[in-house]
Amino acid sequence: MEGMEFIAKAAAYFGAAFCMGIGALGPALGEGFVAAKACEGIARSPENAALLTRTMLLGQAVTESTGIYSLVIALLLIFST
Amino acid sequence: MTKKKIIWLFIIVMVIQVLLSFKLEYKINVGINPDTGKFGVWNTHHPTKIQDQVTEEFQPDLYLRNQGIEPTIYGSRKLYEFFQIFSKNGAINAFKLIRMILIIDIVFLAIILYMRRNMGSKPSKRQLVFEMVYGFIDDLTTETLGKQNAHFTPYILTIFLFILSANFIGIVPIPGFMEPTRNLNVPLGMGLVIISVVHYVSIKKSGFKDYLKGYAEPFFALAPINVIGEVSKVISISFRLFGNVLGGAIIMLVVSSLTKYVILPVGMNLFFGLFVGTIQAFVFTILAVSYIAVVIFD
Repeated sequence: MEGMEFIAKAAAYFGAAFCMGIGALGPALGEGFVAAKACEGIARSPENAALLTRTMLLGQAVTESTGIYSLVIALLLIFST
Repeated sequence: MTKKKIIWLFIIVMVIQVLLSFKLEYKINVGINPDTGKFGVWNTHHPTKIQDQVTEEFQPDLYLRNQGIEPTIYGSRKLYEFFQIFSKNGAINAFKLIRMILIIDIVFLAIILYMRRNMGSKPSKRQLVFEMVYGFIDDLTTETLGKQNAHFTPYILTIFLFILSANFIGIVPIPGFMEPTRNLNVPLGMGLVIISVVHYVSIKKSGFKDYLKGYAEPFFALAPINVIGEVSKVISISFRLFGNVLGGAIIMLVVSSLTKYVILPVGMNLFFGLFVGTIQAFVFTILAVSYIAVVIFD
């Protein structure tokens, strides 16, 4: 039983690491695209910079949610086993 | 010259603190000593393992159970054992959470009542700040929901200000202070309230029959998926806020204990407390408004 618990704990930590590593990939790419597009937009029309920045931050915060879900699941894996 | 001296003194004290704290497993406490009953400064043995620190900060009940400490019960033991059924040693966590919410509410009410008393047609500086925030949220609701739905503004403003102050209170450096949004119950409750408001608006707009008909939208077999979609709205909006605040708090705790609480926590508090807190409060508000807008302009 001791060995099984050890294996389960190790598997949970591995799962948490993979969960964060792969789960952070998508949001990072998405946020990068959003920031790049916002940069282009600001370069094209600098007078709309404030509105563009606000919209960009909002879009990034919404894009980030999948990464946040993976963070929550990783925390569950670490702390509830 | 004196400023420079003060900064040097500060840095030297910091370096000494770092050097001292490397091998020590003690924590300095200030307050009333429970052993002698006198006011003063004393040391207690404190775990330096990060896992233990995180458990102590985020699951104090589990930490106490692991340490083998029995809670002191004030009042009836039967009542305590009755509540044990629902929450296994969850009392301390719930107490911390409710205490923080009460502190926020009281501070908030005091500020608002003070502002109301000193309101005038010739605004002071403080009044201007509040008018700016109100105008900002009012613009948001009137642009998204239309002029005829401006009565949503106070509700939206209350959500925004509550989440904002709840995220900001974590940066107050008092032991035991935490963001109420760190606990999943608070964002989940707010998300449930928002979804109830959305459904109330929907029923009020189209009547109960058409509201129920809306679930069988393309055809009847898709009704379960529509229900799941409604539930997932709550989960999405609340887990976003919860995950951001909790993740920020854990990162802050781990990195500050790695750097022995020197200087870096200030910057991390500025980022995770002020910046992320503001953005997440704003996102929560905007999503609430857009959920209502979807129902109104369907």
